[in-house]
Amino acid sequence: MVLELQKPRPIWQIMFSTHHTDVGLLYLILSLSFLFMGGALALIIRAELFLPGAQILGDAMTFNRIFTVHGTTLIFLFILPFASAVGNYFVPIMVRYKDMAYPKLNAIAFWMIPPGAALVWLGFADFTWYAQPPYSIISAPGPAADMWIFGLKILGISSVLGAINFVVTILKCKHPDMSIGQVPLLAWSFLASSLIILVAIPTFAAALLMLLTDRLGVSGFFNPAMGGDPIAYSHLFWFTFHPEVYVLVIPAIGMMYEIIPRFSRKPIYSYNSGVFAFVLLSIVAFSSWAHHMYATGMSFTEKTVFMVGTLAAVPASAMHVFNFIATMWNGRIKFSTPMMWAVGGIALFFSAGAGGVANAAMPLDFSTHDSYWVVGHFHLFVMGTIAFGSIGYLYYMFPYVTGRMYNETLGKVHFILSFIGTILVFFTQHVLGLYGMPRRVFDYPPIPEWIIMNQIVTVGAMIIGVSMVIFLANMIYSSGKGKLADTDDPFGLGGKYYYPFEAKNPKH
Amino acid sequence: MSGHSNWPEWIYVAVVIALMCWVGAEAWNAERLVEHVPADAELIKVIAQQWFWTFEYEDGTKTIGDLYVESGKAYKFEITSKDVIHSFNIHDYVVLMDAVPGRVNTVWFAPTDVRTHDIQCREYCGLIHYNMRGTLHVEEPSS
Amino acid sequence: MKKFVGLFLVLAVLVIIPAVDSVFAAGDEPGEYLDRRVIIWNLFFKMMTIAFVVGAVVSGTMIWLCWRFRESHPNAKPTSYEGTDW
Repeated sequence: MVLELQKPRPIWQIMFSTHHTDVGLLYLILSLSFLFMGGALALIIRAELFLPGAQILGDAMTFNRIFTVHGTTLIFLFILPFASAVGNYFVPIMVRYKDMAYPKLNAIAFWMIPPGAALVWLGFADFTWYAQPPYSIISAPGPAADMWIFGLKILGISSVLGAINFVVTILKCKHPDMSIGQVPLLAWSFLASSLIILVAIPTFAAALLMLLTDRLGVSGFFNPAMGGDPIAYSHLFWFTFHPEVYVLVIPAIGMMYEIIPRFSRKPIYSYNSGVFAFVLLSIVAFSSWAHHMYATGMSFTEKTVFMVGTLAAVPASAMHVFNFIATMWNGRIKFSTPMMWAVGGIALFFSAGAGGVANAAMPLDFSTHDSYWVVGHFHLFVMGTIAFGSIGYLYYMFPYVTGRMYNETLGKVHFILSFIGTILVFFTQHVLGLYGMPRRVFDYPPIPEWIIMNQIVTVGAMIIGVSMVIFLANMIYSSGKGKLADTDDPFGLGGKYYYPFEAKNPKH
Repeated sequence: MSGHSNWPEWIYVAVVIALMCWVGAEAWNAERLVEHVPADAELIKVIAQQWFWTFEYEDGTKTIGDLYVESGKAYKFEITSKDVIHSFNIHDYVVLMDAVPGRVNTVWFAPTDVRTHDIQCREYCGLIHYNMRGTLHVEEPSS
Repeated sequence: MKKFVGLFLVLAVLVIIPAVDSVFAAGDEPGEYLDRRVIIWNLFFKMMTIAFVVGAVVSGTMIWLCWRFRESHPNAKPTSYEGTDW
């Protein structure tokens, strides 16, 4: 399997190409650049919170802008484009088609991201990635907020176009000899997440337009001074962005479904239950959005409905974990870097899920809502599960893309430091939340427990920062100067791996 | 794809579902108890604005930033906001409710310890969100 | 079999109705106020007990898997798929 043309080409040939691997490469480079930029913002946030009082930032506004852009960047400019990169490389190959269904649309979807990103970064808005009205309407300063709205609009359209492309590629362009039940789980994960995007994103697109006209003063959908209801925005926002959580996590699980069987030298334990769990997750994704809003004055009945809807997502997620464990059982596991990331990601996926169950229980919301518990919880998902799966997959596809091998020792050091850092940062943040520290604060009162825990978190974040520098150096150096890889079997796993439709084994 | 028996997974899924039912039932029960406002609870109106709290008691007096209550009594807060969304939080008593402009949200509690506690804003509300704090003074019962 | 279904139905009713009754009766005693801290933190610690027990089982299983089925384990043997085209 070779994913990229090996002969050198001028950069403009890649930039103006519509071939799926070229667009994939562009997505990959863009998403990793924003991983490092968003990560740098996180380190600034943590440095600021190391001690009470102002540390390195002069004022709260700068801090508020930084955490807003940090969140927006890592969700829309790292996780989503990274998933698209992997999808671009692998989905056409997995469904045995020569390219994506609409190559030009694919390139357009990619090239909408840089302008959207520029709007977000040049504006540097301050109203959190959630843009909650009425703050975002009556209080958020200047063109920054409008630029954020337009930026997100563009990014939203880009992901809808990408999703259409994936759905059509998988459903209509797969090889006629393959049934949909033979499509590999990674491609299934893209099908599921793309369908979620298509259903969920239009709601947010509408909400953004309404937010914009509210800011212009010509409407009052969310402005209580004009008879609007800010909670309506919360519903529209979370109707998109709770399912969006699954859009982010499902491809990461799909990536683990590629890595785990390969390095266990054994087919996936149950393909059917993987598909079933993906489909189930993409349906129950839409039953839980208002669990973000328990504290906005919802009735007991509403809370109960959304609690049940949230808990309904747990069995499907648990089926994935079971599948991974059962696949590793009786295997002969080679702990190369990708496998270490995937296994670490599964362990943290469980912790994040357990925290999520606690969040869903209505009364616990009184103690955890909008505290650092929530920050720790969702970061365990986005960092511990999604970024771990993604980075593992990046190491996995590295030899296929560059034709060279990354440095295995540095990859393992990267994993170990990141794993330790992630546990230090996000588990401590859970406890910090139980001690009552609110999120999105520039400063905090000098309560001894808060200070100690904030310092642990900052140290953990710096450990992750160091590991990411190692990662960057490894990627840059190895892509140019690394050992040449054997692209048939770069990890020395023995045997040739085919995607399931070519499987010779009658049982699987 | 099929061909091997999958009973361990079914048992596992059944266990997970049973656990979730238990979590849901426990949470439902606790929430029901917590939401049941006692009939004789005294009313305190909480008005949030950027970036301080105003408390209006049943007798019409108002205080800013400091909330005075007596231990052993029940209090019901009616929380609203004048500008943007805030969140009224007394973490020591696990009281948390958003202050939403145009809405009145209620939450109740019954203080027991005679001491002071922190009140803070837990929903991002702008520049001085981090310092939108108050103090709860729990005093000896007057009668 | 039908007999047992009927028996279970009767048993279920015998258990469920008093349980529902006692649940709905709680919290209505006059004068004594419930302490929300006790209710909420009790729930929290109950759930954490379960979460940590399940977590110990899951992560224990994973650690054992990683230890037992690693390539360098003395008893490691090739899987039946190795060396084949799969």
